[in-house]
Amino acid sequence: MRSVTGLLYVLQFADSALPVGAFSFSNGLESAIQQGVVRDPASLKQMVLAATEQAATLDGGALLVAHRAVLAADMQGLVAVDRAVYLRKLNEEMRTMTVRMGRKLGELGAHVLDTPLLADWVRAIKSGASPGTFPVGLALVTGALGVEARDAFAAHQYGVASMMLNAALRLMRVSYFDTQAILLEVNATAEDLYQRVRADTIDDIRAFAPLLDILAATHVRAHVRMFMN
Amino acid sequence: MSLLLAPELARYRDEPKQLPSGGLGKNAFLRLGFRRSGRRTILAELNRRAPLLVQQALYWDEEMPLLPCVPIISNSGGILQGDRYAIEIDLDDGAEAHITTQAATKIHEMDANFAAQTQRIVLAAGAYLEYLPHPVIPHRHARFVTHTHIVIDPSATALYSEILLPGRKYYGGGEVFAYDLFSSLLHAARPDGAALFAEKFIIEPQASDVANIAVMGPFHVLANVLLLTPPVHAERIFEQVQPVLDMEHGWACGASRLPNNAGLLYRVLGMESQVVRAKVRAFWSLVRHEVKGNRVPDEFLWG
Repeated sequence: MRSVTGLLYVLQFADSALPVGAFSFSNGLESAIQQGVVRDPASLKQMVLAATEQAATLDGGALLVAHRAVLAADMQGLVAVDRAVYLRKLNEEMRTMTVRMGRKLGELGAHVLDTPLLADWVRAIKSGASPGTFPVGLALVTGALGVEARDAFAAHQYGVASMMLNAALRLMRVSYFDTQAILLEVNATAEDLYQRVRADTIDDIRAFAPLLDILAATHVRAHVRMFMN
Repeated sequence: MSLLLAPELARYRDEPKQLPSGGLGKNAFLRLGFRRSGRRTILAELNRRAPLLVQQALYWDEEMPLLPCVPIISNSGGILQGDRYAIEIDLDDGAEAHITTQAATKIHEMDANFAAQTQRIVLAAGAYLEYLPHPVIPHRHARFVTHTHIVIDPSATALYSEILLPGRKYYGGGEVFAYDLFSSLLHAARPDGAALFAEKFIIEPQASDVANIAVMGPFHVLANVLLLTPPVHAERIFEQVQPVLDMEHGWACGASRLPNNAGLLYRVLGMESQVVRAKVRAFWSLVRHEVKGNRVPDEFLWG
């Protein structure tokens, strides 16, 4: 059983106040609202459920693979996952988001945790040898703190949902009561998602969200934007 | 990773009652090698094993009369359970080719095993490929897994389109997303091995909600169009593709820049195949104009 401190480590790195710039991103929500695809709490819930499912099969699966590499102190393996995630981000804005947040998390982790693996990864990002995606950064930080893989996965999924719901409060007519109710429902699906991806290898990580990608394409061209994606 | 070991196939390893999976008549192979001969490109190498078949290159395109046009034919009337297809396409320096299929590819209903396809497409310096097959129609309980590997020189251009229908939409009570599995992996690299991008998706309509607003939403037909081309072309084409989300007329489209300056990914969603095919044709027309300076030929009367 995890210790109280262990639980607090999970909370710290799942917190939406973690200074990695999550507040600049909406994970596609801004565009979905601009295009009228999301317009009320019901459609918001659908979108967050969809996005967390996509996050689980791509970034979540990659996080679990990377977490195993951290425990084995396998830098080569980490770079391989990092590249695999980056190559699969075909949506330009999602690609920008993952490397901005990943790099910030790596720098933050290297500053507060002082592990050789984190320092090596940050150097590899700076030299261009590793792209610096967010799930790999989260695996490094949680792995260094002894946080278990499933808890790291939980922190990741929570981060995606809270980023979008925080953005929703600024983008549309929705109350804190609504977003918290949605968050409870989204969290209820996370165990099932974990079971679906827990045994995935680097070859299995995947995403399928063509409508989200088209929404992102409209966002790239949008004149009025509050968020970077 | 071997295609046949993919974990999403675990439930479908039973053998069909007809010919054994991957056996004679179910193990198609096609190799097409194109090279320049003067100004014209010729189909210099042709290897085939049924049920896939190519007879010869034709020069039917009046806008590009030096371009060999090759329809891939199947003599089995569609993809059946236990089928294993392998296709290799090779374009030498400066070669050009247009490849299509005879008709829509039907993936028949299955009650045992699955069908699999691997494709390897190699483009040398300055080569130009249009690979525009007709739509794929997965019938009820179809299971299909496909791996495509593209190796492309930085100066070459490849336009590759896949149009996926939800099934036999108007057959019986309507066969919409009634198939079991459609799994696709595509990756692209430079000749020196440097990876460009990868796309893996799994559609299992019985296991997850395809009509989800991030996935297909209200739409039924998906076109996934890859344009691998030097950045100078990609940027000009990107500027001309306006993203659209038109719920009223039942279609949407958008383009995104691929990682590592590989080119563009253009996606179209629609209610019916006609509108999606028309948008893919418009994109093809734009690409050919920007890259080759030519028009696309008029559509055949039979579509």
